[in-house]
Amino acid sequence: MRKVLSTALSAALLSVLSAVGSAYEVITVTNGGTVQGVVKLVGQAPTVPPIKTTKNQDYCGNSIDNPLYVVGKDGGLKNVEVFLKGIEKGKANPTATITLLNTHCMFDPRVQGSSTGQQIKIASDDPILHNTHPQNNDTNATIYNIALPFKGFSVTKPLPATPELIRVKCDAHEWMRAWIWEFDHPYYATTDADGHFEIKDVPPGTYTVVAWHEVMGQKDASATVAAGKPVTVDFSFTPKK
Amino acid sequence: MKRLSIVASAFVALALAAPARAQGPGSGGDPVKGKVVYERYCLSCHGELGNGAGEFAEWITTKPRDYRQGTFKWRSTPSGSLPTDADLDKTIRDGIYGTFMPTWYAIGEHNRRDVIAYIKTFSARWKTDKPQPSIVIPAEPPYSDASVKRGRAVYEKSNCAQCHGQDALGDGPSAHELKDDWGNPIVPYDLTQGHIKCGDTGSDIYRVFITGLNGTPMPSFTDSISPEEAWDLVHYIQSLSALYPKNYGPAAAK
Repeated sequence: MRKVLSTALSAALLSVLSAVGSAYEVITVTNGGTVQGVVKLVGQAPTVPPIKTTKNQDYCGNSIDNPLYVVGKDGGLKNVEVFLKGIEKGKANPTATITLLNTHCMFDPRVQGSSTGQQIKIASDDPILHNTHPQNNDTNATIYNIALPFKGFSVTKPLPATPELIRVKCDAHEWMRAWIWEFDHPYYATTDADGHFEIKDVPPGTYTVVAWHEVMGQKDASATVAAGKPVTVDFSFTPKK
Repeated sequence: MKRLSIVASAFVALALAAPARAQGPGSGGDPVKGKVVYERYCLSCHGELGNGAGEFAEWITTKPRDYRQGTFKWRSTPSGSLPTDADLDKTIRDGIYGTFMPTWYAIGEHNRRDVIAYIKTFSARWKTDKPQPSIVIPAEPPYSDASVKRGRAVYEKSNCAQCHGQDALGDGPSAHELKDDWGNPIVPYDLTQGHIKCGDTGSDIYRVFITGLNGTPMPSFTDSISPEEAWDLVHYIQSLSALYPKNYGPAAAK
């Protein structure tokens, strides 16, 4: 009887899982490969006027540089999220807590990746009220909305249970924006000031590599990873005139 | 043994087939009956598709709730959570002061229960997620001038004035560019005008700043305001309105 029930239950569970989509499987990765490269902006970055602050100017100042296009050495583009789309198995997700800091009336970092199961520490360095209000980028649904009423305040919260692209705003300072990509796997990286990224410990195989920029959208490329070797995948974005 | 297993499977089958029976206000309704109630009373504002875009929606501010995201302002549950059935029942039963949402006390608890079951069919979130437990509200300490004064200090320390303004008139520096999750302009409440939208009791007001109002700029202060401070803040907010009976009491007379 018990056996019949447990079989029925696991069948039900399986059907639920397959309905949701195949879950990421953790395996031991030895001698994995690396996907690396540079993301570049082709030509001149569009001129974006500085953000005009409309409140708390005594602390925030009258204007703040707009970080939409941050271009470094040789056209390298910062704040691009690069990830292996739909990777089904590999190393375990990180468990460290990620951080989103409210500082000088902006979020830091602007763009970051994360894995399901991680937590997020939301903190403020500013002596004014901020609120950190993450929303699902597709549906606009509020994930939560936390008040950070004074300097030095912080709170640690779980990330959503299912992976999604999270857009974060501060309602009190409408110019503030951050992006958190949440994946069900650990294979992602955010480009640094020179546009570099590196995704390590990738099991050999062929993958779709996606690069995402908050204004210029998504590009993808195919990469075949061999054991213990790096493979270079570069991306270039051409801004709309 | 065999008979036992038949009986057991019958129980399992029953448990799976029968909708949860009423546990409390708003729970265990029938969505099929609820659709009839919805079409009779709710559709003209909330729309056939539950998207808050009924025939009258264009002429209304605050806009009718769009049910498709599973986002609700008035809840006893933490920031981001779905509301409980009792929360939805309270909103429908009492209406929302200052908006076009009237009280539906008169349609009775059974109709409200059924319409709640139907409203839940508009968002898949009700299938994949469930409400977190309601927050615990400790017993209200006595209303006093001292508590009101401490509450004003909490109002200042927590920077409520950023949106609600120094005098709680809803005119703080961030008041004018706020939007809700749907992109509609939204204003911070003028706390001096009398009734509070979400209900006038102490615990109604307490709940708002501890849970926040999902889908709006109003965040949760649960991590930055202690329960004692929260009650003081409630008393301060009550002190701003002449409508509160408390304001005619001994504390007000002094």
